[in-house]
Amino acid sequence: MKFSTILTGGLTLCLAIGAQAATLDDVKNRGMVSCGVSTGLAGFSQKDENGMWSGLDVDVCRAVAAAVLGDDTKVQYKPLTAKERFTALQSGEIDLLSRNTTWTHTRDTSLGLNFAGVNYYDGQGFMVSKKIGVTTALELDGAAVCIQAGTTSELNLADYFRENKLSYTAITFDTADQTRAGFESGRCDVLTSDQSQLYAIRIGLKNPADALVLPEVISKEPLGPVVRQGDDEWFNITRWSLMAMVEAEFLAVDSSNVDNAMKNGSPSQKRLLGSEGDAGDKLGLDANWAYNIVKLVGNYGESFERNVGMDSPLKIARGQNAQWNNGGLMYSAPIR
Amino acid sequence: MIVFKPLAARAAPIQSTGLIGWMRLNLFSNIINSVVTLLIAGLLLMTLPDLIDWLFIKATYTGESQDVCNPDGACWVFVNAWSKQFFYGSYPLESLWRINLSLFVLFVVVAGSNFLPKNLRYPITVPALLFMPFIGLALIDGRLFGLEYVATDYWGGFSLNVLLAAASIIVSFPLSFLWVLGRQSNMPFIKTVCVILIEFFRGVPVLALFFMGSVMLPLFFAQGINIDKLIRVWIVLVLFMSGYMAEVFRGGFQAVPAGQYEAADSLGLSYWHKTLLILLPQVIKVAMPNILATFVMLFKNTTFLLIIGIFEMLATVQTALSNSNWLGGHATEGYLFVGFIFWICCFSMSMMSSSIEKKLNKSNV
Amino acid sequence: MSETDIQIKKKPSFINNPRNRAIFYQLLLLIGLGYFFFSIISNTLANMEARGIKTGYSFLSSTSGFDILMTLIPYDATSSYFQTFVVGMLNTMLVSVIGIFIATILGFLMGVAYFSKNWLIRKSSVVYVETFRNIPLLLQVFFWYSAVLATLPSARDSLSVGEAIFLNIRGFYFPKVINEPLSILVYIAFAIAVVAAVCLKIWAKKRQDKTGLQFPVLYASLALLIGLPLVVTLLSGVPFQLEYPVLKGFNFKGGVTIIPELIALTLALSIYTGAFIAEAVRAGVQAVPQGQSEAARSLGLKEKKIMSLIVVPQAMRVIVPMLNSEYQSLVKNSTLATAIGYPDLFTVFVGTSLNQTGQAIEIVFMTIAVYFAFNMSISFIMNQVNKRVSHIER
Repeated sequence: MKFSTILTGGLTLCLAIGAQAATLDDVKNRGMVSCGVSTGLAGFSQKDENGMWSGLDVDVCRAVAAAVLGDDTKVQYKPLTAKERFTALQSGEIDLLSRNTTWTHTRDTSLGLNFAGVNYYDGQGFMVSKKIGVTTALELDGAAVCIQAGTTSELNLADYFRENKLSYTAITFDTADQTRAGFESGRCDVLTSDQSQLYAIRIGLKNPADALVLPEVISKEPLGPVVRQGDDEWFNITRWSLMAMVEAEFLAVDSSNVDNAMKNGSPSQKRLLGSEGDAGDKLGLDANWAYNIVKLVGNYGESFERNVGMDSPLKIARGQNAQWNNGGLMYSAPIR
Repeated sequence: MIVFKPLAARAAPIQSTGLIGWMRLNLFSNIINSVVTLLIAGLLLMTLPDLIDWLFIKATYTGESQDVCNPDGACWVFVNAWSKQFFYGSYPLESLWRINLSLFVLFVVVAGSNFLPKNLRYPITVPALLFMPFIGLALIDGRLFGLEYVATDYWGGFSLNVLLAAASIIVSFPLSFLWVLGRQSNMPFIKTVCVILIEFFRGVPVLALFFMGSVMLPLFFAQGINIDKLIRVWIVLVLFMSGYMAEVFRGGFQAVPAGQYEAADSLGLSYWHKTLLILLPQVIKVAMPNILATFVMLFKNTTFLLIIGIFEMLATVQTALSNSNWLGGHATEGYLFVGFIFWICCFSMSMMSSSIEKKLNKSNV
Repeated sequence: MSETDIQIKKKPSFINNPRNRAIFYQLLLLIGLGYFFFSIISNTLANMEARGIKTGYSFLSSTSGFDILMTLIPYDATSSYFQTFVVGMLNTMLVSVIGIFIATILGFLMGVAYFSKNWLIRKSSVVYVETFRNIPLLLQVFFWYSAVLATLPSARDSLSVGEAIFLNIRGFYFPKVINEPLSILVYIAFAIAVVAAVCLKIWAKKRQDKTGLQFPVLYASLALLIGLPLVVTLLSGVPFQLEYPVLKGFNFKGGVTIIPELIALTLALSIYTGAFIAEAVRAGVQAVPQGQSEAARSLGLKEKKIMSLIVVPQAMRVIVPMLNSEYQSLVKNSTLATAIGYPDLFTVFVGTSLNQTGQAIEIVFMTIAVYFAFNMSISFIMNQVNKRVSHIER
């Protein structure tokens, strides 16, 4: 008797039968969105002293939870390493992968996955110490380069130096902190990483003003959330949760004025926030799905500034990630 | 006439007591020794003052953020602010008692196995020890006892190192015992399988095993079945430990005098009676120092889980280092702290192990 | 009770026959294992198909596309994954061999230091063993790499000896020896010296057995091994050239470089394993009965001779089996290279290559096979050594 209860208890502990088809029903039953994030990436997914997660990638998880469950705290964060992230999604361990994952052709077509959009346009860049007097990456012949091990950074670096017939030595580190320490101690002349991380590494330096980020960007890294292929409903929810954040910024709706906009806003504001039209219904969600996102998480601009922009220690400029009408690439399809 | 001629008085013997005598005997007994002594002393004098200065005197202890830290000294503020994370991970504050209770029960059961009266020792501690990991797991998980459910993603920190190591070694006890019995049996197929198992898990780097747990194991299960990462790692740790423990037990079996086997056989005991009642208690007693040493190894190896993204203590330090509010490079403080905590635990266990060994040697003589 | 009451059955019942039982248990295990492997393999194949993971070893011949910091064979981004594998394997071998060498010396020194008359030396031995044995190796690797080696000066302010040997944060640089055609003579001379030294040793042993006279074999062999090649070198007009490392642009070029990652990993591995070896040596020496050294002392042997002729040979019987397992764990622990970016097999193959190809099963399998083979060879060699040392046992 006792043994069998323990056995069944043990089984429930170990096994979670993940349904492959209806992720939305699953999430609603569980009352939680299971979201794969990075084990620690400044500004994107990071844990604080109290164990609370924050970051640009984390905000996507929160937005989906707010849209589906009406509560942005109902997220179960699964920290994943780069190697296990796709397996975790494929096996149904997580509902959504938001872990600074680059959208590439191979990943989109052959892994049984779908990219739901782009929440950060990144690219690999270089940082050098001002002392060595280099202003462009083309002067780096013979340099020692510190790389933060990624999935594509080593390949991009090799390609770039080979293309320009430059020689180099690559020193690969596992984490941002080690890469920074390697650069600071002089183990290498140049540090290369995704630009978003270059800024994070730079502010960790003892003297950030001594370091210079070179203008070259040697790769395209559109980062975005990923879901399983074959569940269009869930794919739509994820895609439009992200779009809603971008659209809200475009329509100048933010967490402070969202209540007012819902009542007295323009027609497109009202359509977004659910006081007009049936956008939520078509997604299989409540009418106020986008209202919840904006109210609880904020629009894309707020999320950006809070996590990586001027209100954060990273102080990354909007650049490519500005709205399309401000010279950026952030563009939401209209909600109508 | 013989005149009494006293020999000239000898010089007093070199002082061999007191501080000077001790120093002469122990530090400056000959030229080479003196040189080495001076070298070591010089080295200590060169490094220690700076070290103490950085570690304690110029260090900053309390504060809210890294801004209050003195750049010339250690920033213990970092360790202070993150201490809850370092020890308990993200486990909910109001439920911390569950972890503490599990650790306490573990401690009581282990201590009990040493202090209970002999006739009660086995019937009580063996089942308690074997059920302990599952009960502890269920308690921390919460669902089975109707407590608030805490998913494994919130477990972490030093308590995870301890509990994972303890749960692994305890579960590996029966498993490794079976393996070693298989290895010693005269059934050729069973023997081969057990030898392969033991040698495989001993011969493969634990890091490779962890990677198997994190990347390969999910592929082994039928589609739609997920086994929690922590459980997968636990399975891997148990198997790894069983390989080592089987070797420890094999040594123990060899140390039991042949007369014990023969006496048990001549009394007509069955195989399992002989093994469990006569041999096992003696094997465990003889193998205790090695069991402890193996546990210390396992305990230290739990830090490798960092590399597959499980928030044990060292991984928590690295996460803390990548938080955008703490990007000041506090790696040294964090690592020193982790090293210190591990050193205390492992050192006391080695002390325990050598004291048991001494006791054993005495009782054998 | 009469004699006839006790009937000895000629055959035990079918169920209780140990042979039948053995067959039954083994069949059960066979079926269980068969089912286990069948379900694992079928699940894996189904999963891999569903997830678009390729299978097979064809990836080994495709281009890797990344560079590696330190390679013992020529390698660049156009090399294949198989070459990546070989590079990693050689790097693992290199760090293991150096690590084992240093750890053994350090371990024996520290183990013997435990018995020193000097209080400071004795205590340093204890402190060394208890500190380094009880701190996780991963932390020690971090410590040597980011706390100690990172304090070295930059390339421009290198510490140097005579503009030939340099030490800086980028590594340890020393001149490379380049052979000229005549240099073959020197190597031949060295080979002859080795053969002569072996012959000398055999002859000296025979002579000592016959006449009891000792011959300073060590000094004579050393003189042979160093002297003969040296004489030939001078006679043939020094057929070597030295290529000095020179600071060009950002880095030193030419010469031989030892990268700091290798230094840090070797230090960490050998100091950690050395602590365990010291402990083994201490245990081995303590296991030799006190009477042995007392008897030797009363025969008038010097303290040094007692240690080297009486105590250590007997202690070796205890030490060698322990050395075997310590060497094996050193090889396994060398996988921690991945934490500081030393390009060993684990870093370049299970790390970077797995990231690129996603073929977890094949890669992990190959890696495990290599470590297994390394450890089996260590085990084999140490078992031979063990046979030799335990041969003396009576």
